Amino acid sequence: MIDAGERTAMEGTVRGAIVDALSTRGERADVDAVLQKLGWLEMLHDGPDDAIGIVFGALGATNATATALDDVLASALGREPRADLAVVLPPFGVWGAPGRLQGSDLHAIGLATARAAHARELLVVCTTASEAWAIVVPSAVAEVRRVNGVDPDGGLHAIRVQRSAEGATRLDPVAWSSAVALGRRAIAHQIEGACRAMLELARAYALEREQFGRPIARFQAVRHRLAETLVAVEALEATLTAAREVPGPETAALAKAVAGRTSRTVSRHAQQVLAGIGFTTEHRFHRFLKRTMALEGLFGSTDEIVLDVGRQLLATRQVPTLIDL
Amino acid sequence: VIDLADYRAELHAWLDANHEALAPLHSPPGTLDDHVAQMQRVKSILFDAGWMQRGWPERVGGRGGPPMLRTELGAALAARELVDPGLFSLIEVLAPTLIDFAPPELAAEVVPRLLSGAELWCQGFSEPDSGSDLASLRCRAVPEGGDARTASRWVVNGQKVWTSLAQFSDRCVLLTRTGPADSRHRGITAFFVDMDTPGITVVPLEMLNGRLEFAEVFFDDVVVPADRMLGELNGGWAVAMSILPYERSSCFWQRIAYLYRQLQRLVEVAPNDDRAAEVVGDAYVQLHALRARSRATQHRLAETGTIGVETSIDKVLVATAEQTLYDAVRRLLPGTIETDEGAAAATWRSEYLFSRAATIYGGTAEVQRNIIARRLLQLGGDE
Repeated sequence: MIDAGERTAMEGTVRGAIVDALSTRGERADVDAVLQKLGWLEMLHDGPDDAIGIVFGALGATNATATALDDVLASALGREPRADLAVVLPPFGVWGAPGRLQGSDLHAIGLATARAAHARELLVVCTTASEAWAIVVPSAVAEVRRVNGVDPDGGLHAIRVQRSAEGATRLDPVAWSSAVALGRRAIAHQIEGACRAMLELARAYALEREQFGRPIARFQAVRHRLAETLVAVEALEATLTAAREVPGPETAALAKAVAGRTSRTVSRHAQQVLAGIGFTTEHRFHRFLKRTMALEGLFGSTDEIVLDVGRQLLATRQVPTLIDL
Repeated sequence: VIDLADYRAELHAWLDANHEALAPLHSPPGTLDDHVAQMQRVKSILFDAGWMQRGWPERVGGRGGPPMLRTELGAALAARELVDPGLFSLIEVLAPTLIDFAPPELAAEVVPRLLSGAELWCQGFSEPDSGSDLASLRCRAVPEGGDARTASRWVVNGQKVWTSLAQFSDRCVLLTRTGPADSRHRGITAFFVDMDTPGITVVPLEMLNGRLEFAEVFFDDVVVPADRMLGELNGGWAVAMSILPYERSSCFWQRIAYLYRQLQRLVEVAPNDDRAAEVVGDAYVQLHALRARSRATQHRLAETGTIGVETSIDKVLVATAEQTLYDAVRRLLPGTIETDEGAAAATWRSEYLFSRAATIYGGTAEVQRNIIARRLLQLGGDE
């Protein structure tokens, strides 16, 4: 694991490269190519814990669209990440494997990143109570539809596969939950980056916007909203640090739950501070709002994760502390 | 180098082995007198076994080692409900003051007495007109004979309030006004005052849960030797502020350990349905975020030796999580707090009512947000 100074430096490099690409090429910038050039796959290979924090944080902060999530999941599922392999994600709001086997048939319904639009193959995971399989299918046999929804620039695609389950290979039963854990952390980092960006937009506006003869940042009602926002973002960062230092499905699930909740808190307060201008497409705020709305549903919405965590507490009658000093 | 995980394992093994000796003698919920007696008894046993001295400097009778050893001990005691963490963790806001600001021989004499349970101390900071605005305090100390440089004694007059455990205390870390009335933080001096000094009157205040944990303390021509001054003349603000890193690290970690224990008590009796799952899940997620934040804060303190205004975030999180937890109790055990008899109900009732203070003591939720806005978000002044 790298130290905090190196991490900050790498975050700066990745973010700077993405910002450069976005500022010269606009929305058509190929952020995946930027990441490849920065050595993303090597970073992922050498230390996924650090790599996902650095790269997904930068994606969130810049509102860039990339498909690095496919590499994270492919590698967690024991496959060599490659640009022509997209991984089918669970449907919106849940985290069970997207595929199921019925007799000799594979049925899968889920989401995917923009990679699914051009990838040659899709990786589908199917699970039962005790077993898991992975099946690679040609994307030509799948129904791949671009999701417009609230965040048409986010690159999400809807996937439907129905075909023979031929070629299924057995997976370690915990592989899917490990992949979900890593996916949750990646998305939570991306949400954190977006939340910090929203806070900064609101903060800058509060200092600049004058009403009643003074900047609105002077009004305690505004200050306390922004303070509340910072509290939420810092708590999220701490849960992400805990998930990196004490990795496991539990700390990852909690980090994702905190991320979703934080995005709601931050977007609510930031939007209120930005008021009229934050309600228009002239201001960048709406992009972060919409992106976090879409991201919150990947690998389980906050409400579903909280419910699941609570059910486990009540089923076991045990409250694990998970992290120590 | 001490491995914290090894230390923790060793500590818990010892606490397991000595559970019978350490367990409270009173039945729950217990009176404040019961809790104070239990705490002093536990401190004495732990001191004899050498645990209380871990993490304290050798020059005050400690056994050295990083302060996190103290934090681990307090958290272990809180998680086992052997002591009330609010009372026990007062050590963390009192002993360091003596270590950092008292004449060395005084610190060496009195700190072991606090650690061993031979004494209790209190903190005389707040006043009736100085709550959030502590720098406006008015309790006055004047040098006998009029010259601060040569006086061998000081005379204190005034009033303190919200002084925890004053009626049980042998000593008080007292903030007094020694500069002009309007000198604010520049004219405050700290003293270490014996509570049996003539002229001190303690009047306990009943809290809304029935406990007499706080008191008003009146000072009427109370004479304090000049060598009991803590820190510099008019340097009392630095003394008061020096407590913050201890309060915001070790005390919080102990409180968090206790809150996990209370959530454990709740999940043992809560109904096993989805409504309850949402409520306990929510409390757990908040506790986890708080624990993660506090863990990061303590690692930063251990690495850099200092923490500062950013711990206002920890303070907001701890207060919010605590109130969420006890709100969860009230929602999932209807009638328990409001109408039920019995020990468990009485304990929940007392704890629930006390949790309402979490957004008030140690700097109100509003003051924390003001600090976050001004110092962390750099939003400028609010006038």
